[in-house]
Amino acid sequence: MDASQRPEMTEHQKQQLQFQLFQDSLPKVNEIVYRMLLNEAIPMAVNVQDRLSEESGGHEDNETEQGLEQDLDAKLTFDPLKDHVPSHKLLQKYLTADEEYQNKVDERLNNIGFLLGQKLSQLLIFSNNPSLNFRDMDLLAVMKFVCRDVWRQLFGKQIDNLKTNHRGTFYLLDNNYKPVESFALDEDMSQEEQTLIEPYLEIPCGVIRGVLDSLGFQEKGQVICTASITSDRESQKTGSSASSRAVLFNVQINPDR
Amino acid sequence: MSASMSGNTASSSSSKKSLKAFSDDIWKNKTAKINAELFTLTYGSIVSQLCTDYERDFAKVNKQLYSMGYNIGVRLIEDFLARTALPRCDSLAKTSEVISKCAFKIFLNVTPQIGNWSSNKDSFSIFLDENPLSEFVELPMDAARELWYSNILCGVLKGALEMVQMDCDVYFASDVLKGDQTTELRVKLNKILKDEIPAGED
Amino acid sequence: MAIQTILVINKSGGLVYQRDFVATAPRLSSNEYLILAGTLQGIVAIASQITPKSLQIAGKGSAKGGVEPAGGAAAPLVPYVGTLGATTASGTPMGSFLGPDYFNDAFASCNGRGLKHVTTDQNSLFLYQTLTGIKFVAVSTQPTTNAMAVAVAENLLRKAYCLYADYVMKNPFYEPEMPIKCELFDQKLGVLVGQL
Repeated sequence: MDASQRPEMTEHQKQQLQFQLFQDSLPKVNEIVYRMLLNEAIPMAVNVQDRLSEESGGHEDNETEQGLEQDLDAKLTFDPLKDHVPSHKLLQKYLTADEEYQNKVDERLNNIGFLLGQKLSQLLIFSNNPSLNFRDMDLLAVMKFVCRDVWRQLFGKQIDNLKTNHRGTFYLLDNNYKPVESFALDEDMSQEEQTLIEPYLEIPCGVIRGVLDSLGFQEKGQVICTASITSDRESQKTGSSASSRAVLFNVQINPDR
Repeated sequence: MSASMSGNTASSSSSKKSLKAFSDDIWKNKTAKINAELFTLTYGSIVSQLCTDYERDFAKVNKQLYSMGYNIGVRLIEDFLARTALPRCDSLAKTSEVISKCAFKIFLNVTPQIGNWSSNKDSFSIFLDENPLSEFVELPMDAARELWYSNILCGVLKGALEMVQMDCDVYFASDVLKGDQTTELRVKLNKILKDEIPAGED
Repeated sequence: MAIQTILVINKSGGLVYQRDFVATAPRLSSNEYLILAGTLQGIVAIASQITPKSLQIAGKGSAKGGVEPAGGAAAPLVPYVGTLGATTASGTPMGSFLGPDYFNDAFASCNGRGLKHVTTDQNSLFLYQTLTGIKFVAVSTQPTTNAMAVAVAENLLRKAYCLYADYVMKNPFYEPEMPIKCELFDQKLGVLVGQL
C-alpha cells in the first residue's frame, strides 16, 4: 500500500515510533475480555430481540391489577437470572429464526458498531496519529485510515488488501478476521455455518459506517457496507495456518448530493 | 520424551511468590493487551444500544447486562483457571483476595479494594476505585437513577463463581456514576455447592 | 513415552472428547469409551474416600499453617517441566497465550486425594482435574511409575486445558458439557502431542 512513499519513510518512521510508544503508554486491559465482550454481543442481540418480541406478543394488553401485583412480586423476589438463556441456545435460535428476525438482530449489531465507530475515530484523531493529515484527505485516504488505524485499533492488525474502482466502491480484504479466529468451522462451510457467521461480521461493518459518518459522510444511505466470508485461497496457497478466515468488506460510498 | 528438562529446579521457590507478584507476572508477560479506552468505548456502545432497544427501561437493561456477563463468566473462568492453575480457596477471604488481586488484575489491570465484611464473614464488598468499563462515562439524569452501568461485572462474577461451585449473589450497592462516594460491588455467598465439588479435592 | 489417547470427561462423568494419536491404539467402541469415562469418574470419587483419615487430617493441618504460596492451601505442587516442545520460539502460535510457554511455574494439583495415575504392565493412565470438574486423561504407550513422567503428563494435560480454554470455551457455538467437535482444538492438540 505504501510502496510509493518509501523516500520519506525515515522521518515518518520516527513519528510512527513515537506514536507507538505513546500508544503503549496508554492504560490497557486484557485482550481476551475485549474479544469476549465483542463476541458475546451477538447472542446478547438475539436475546434482546427475543425479549422485545415477547413483550409485544400480548403481555401488554392485560395491564390489570393482577398484572401490577405480579410486577410487584417480581420486584420483591428479584432474580437477575430469571429467564436466562445460555449463549449457544441464543445462537441456535438465530439460526432457526426467519429472515426478518435475523435482520433485526444484524441491524442491532450494526448499530453497536456504528456507535463505536463514531467515538473511535475521535479517539484516533485526538491521539495525534502522524499518519493522519486531515487537511487534504480524499476518500482514498479516509479508507486507508480505516484499513490501517481503525483496524489496528480494533483487531491489532491491518486490512490486508484494499481495492477500489475509484468511483466510490472499496473492497477491504481481511485475511485473518480475528473475531472468528477461534471458531470451529469446516473448510468448506455449510449453509448453516455461513448463517451463523454473518452476525459476527456486522459490528465492523457498523464501525466503518460510524467512522465515515464522523468524517463527514453523514447522509442517510450514503455509506453502504456489507461483508462476506470468503474461501481463503491465498493463505491456502502459501500454506499458512488453515485456521485463518478471510472476510471481504464491501464499502459503497455515494457522492454528496 | 525429547522435551528439555533444564532450568526448572528453581520452580519450587518461584511458586512461593505472593499472589500479587504472581498476577503481576501473568499480566506483564503472558497477556495480550488492548487499549483500555477501546474497551470502554465498546462497552459503552453496547450499553447505549441496549438503552435504545429497551426504550430506557433501565431495569431491563440491567438484567440484560447481567445475563450477558453470566454467559461470559461461565466461560472466562476456564481461561482463568487454565492460566493460573490456582487451587481451591479454603475460605471466602481467600476467594476475595484472588478475585481482586488476581482476576481483576489479569483481566482488567485494576486491583480493587476488598472490605465491608459481614459479621458472619459470608459477604464482602469489592470497591472499584478504578473501573475500566466506565472511565469517562457520565450518565444522563434518568439513567443515573436506575441504571447499573457496569452490571455486566456482576454477571461475570456470578457465572464464574458458580462454575467453581460457589452459589453467590452479586450486585452493585453503589456507583460513582450515580453520584455515590464509591463504586461498591457486593458479593454474598449463599452456599457452597458441596455435591458438585469434584471428588478428589482436599 | 508416547501418548496413545487423550480423553476429556465433563464434570458429570460424560465423555466429551476422545482421540487416538498412534495407529496401534486399541480400538474401543464408543460405548466402551463411555464406560471407561464413567468408571474413571467413579474411581476418582472412590479413591478420594479411601485415603486414610490420618493422612487427610495431616494434609489439612499443613494447609492451614505456615506461609501460603500463591493462591491458597499448600496443595501438592507439580513441577514445571519445560516447554515440551510447544513454544512460540518454534513458530507455532499459541492462541491467546503469550509465549514462550503456556505457563512457566510449578502449579498446584487440586486433585490431592483423587486418582491421578494408573499403571499396568503395558500402559499408564494420567488424570488432571480442574476446579470446575473437567477431567483431562492421557494414556501412554509405556508403563511408568517415574515421578518425572507423571509430572510431564500433568504438564501436558494442563496445556490441553489451556487449549480447551481457548478453542472450546471461546467458541460461542459450543454447548457446555456436550461432546467437543472443534476442528481447531483437534488440530492444536495434535500439534501439542506431536511435539512431545
